[in-house]
Amino acid sequence: MTELWYVVGFAVVGVAFVFLVIGLSWLITHRNRGDEHKGRPYESGIDTFGDTWGRFGISYYIYALLFVAFDIEIVFIYLWALVFRDLLLGGFVAMLVFVLILLVGLGYAWRKGVLTWR
Amino acid sequence: MSMAVVTWQRLNVVGKILAIAVPVLIALGLVTVGVAILAGPFAIEFVGDNVPLLRFVAAIGAVLLLTIPTAFVVIFMELKVIARMNLRVGPDRVGPYGTAMSVVHGLKFLSKEDFAPLGVDLQVFTIAPVVVFVGSVMTFLVIPFAPGLFGLDMNVGVLYLFAMGGLTVVGLLMAGWASFNKYSLLGGLRSAAQMVSYEIPLTLSLVGVVLLAGTMSLNQMVLAQSGSIADWYVWQQPLAFVIFIIAGIAEANRSPFDLTEADQEIVAGFATEYSGMRFGFFFFAEYVNVFVVSALIVTFFLGGWTAPFDWPFPVAVAIDPLAWGVGSLVAILALPVVGTLVLAAPFWLSSRITTLQALVIGFILFNVVAIGLVLGWAFVSLDWVSGLFWFFAKSYVFVFFFVWLRGSLPRVRIDQLMGFAWKWLLPAALLNIFVTAAAIVIVNR
Repeated sequence: MTELWYVVGFAVVGVAFVFLVIGLSWLITHRNRGDEHKGRPYESGIDTFGDTWGRFGISYYIYALLFVAFDIEIVFIYLWALVFRDLLLGGFVAMLVFVLILLVGLGYAWRKGVLTWR
Repeated sequence: MSMAVVTWQRLNVVGKILAIAVPVLIALGLVTVGVAILAGPFAIEFVGDNVPLLRFVAAIGAVLLLTIPTAFVVIFMELKVIARMNLRVGPDRVGPYGTAMSVVHGLKFLSKEDFAPLGVDLQVFTIAPVVVFVGSVMTFLVIPFAPGLFGLDMNVGVLYLFAMGGLTVVGLLMAGWASFNKYSLLGGLRSAAQMVSYEIPLTLSLVGVVLLAGTMSLNQMVLAQSGSIADWYVWQQPLAFVIFIIAGIAEANRSPFDLTEADQEIVAGFATEYSGMRFGFFFFAEYVNVFVVSALIVTFFLGGWTAPFDWPFPVAVAIDPLAWGVGSLVAILALPVVGTLVLAAPFWLSSRITTLQALVIGFILFNVVAIGLVLGWAFVSLDWVSGLFWFFAKSYVFVFFFVWLRGSLPRVRIDQLMGFAWKWLLPAALLNIFVTAAAIVIVNR
């Protein structure tokens, strides 16, 4: 329970620090509305066209999917690593089978060309 | 407009800072004195009763305050080292040898207009720097700086580290999405793809260390490596060490993996629309991250705060002046005067130096010698001073290494970057785990 309070306290103080400094900056700096050009998005000097929050390349999405699969695997591997000295050979074989199944998935993605950036 | 408003607007930035800071400091001083007089006796009792609470407050304050000088030092190192590598001089105007340059950078950010462009998603736009900054600063909580000197000795320390590292991804993605700019969006998505990909080898490379140490607490890991240089995990985990460095650079978005803010391709990536202090916090978080990655390399593979060799003389001298009697106290009080006079004497003999100058030189020399002696005494007799020394010395070697990489390597292409993480680092990290596990099985048979 103490650990949780440390983390929460740290987060609260960190967030408060950022907002205090940004607030201080807001307080002491000048404010100039400018004309409408000041607020335009900076896209190398060209007025923006098309929908910014529109459709986007799918390759980013597939990396995220792969990440989810492997991240869950990592959680299991860490727990296994913690108790490995009690398991030894049995644990080694079990984890080998587990990782091999995942590697089949990685191999499939590799063969499908997902890992090659397009 | 009233007189006060007109006066306020006429002040320049330094004037405004002083106009706020001076009354606040005076008020704080008065309040502190008042509280100390009124509540002194109760405070001593309170300290005795609430040691855990005070440790909580002290840990949070100390660790958060530590991040600011850390970032300043890393920024100064980057400016100066890169300049030297480019055959430039680098900052040399502000402060001695330009050392105050990064502080000036901070003040400059503070004095710039707090501006959000049209069309941004204002709430997300405001929260994004907070998430990035807090995500990188919170990792400091579990790093052991010296024996017994850590924010929190967490038994799931490694998992906590990666959870906080994950916050940075979210923050950068928020910044990229909220900015209403195609370059920002590209930068945010690139950073998400890159950090997510490199998080896998980064995390997997540490499994070998966890296997060897049998714990996920960073403090216990450092203790398991204490002894001599031969006990450091870098010798048993060389492959994991290399993978961790490469993936750590990518996680910190540093060159040669700084695709997320590749100026020549996507302006400034997720930070394109940010300015002033909001950008300042991204900047700040980046350099804090550089230090955090260096500190983690040192903690996991290079023995953290342990010295590379056994300290030959275990000196633990406790100074207790009260036990020395009145005569020794008078001697201590006389020491500055005598020391200053003795050190000033050689300069006084020179005809070109006036008596006053000789005395000033003597006094400065005495201070240097005294500070050196006190620091030296603390270094040999206080565990945590030598621990802090070794921890920061090793960490800054890696900070220098990161800056060196930025000064010498060109940026990689994004297809090379992503392919390298999945096709090389991931299989290598898995191989490392099974080689380590097999070695443990064989040793323990």
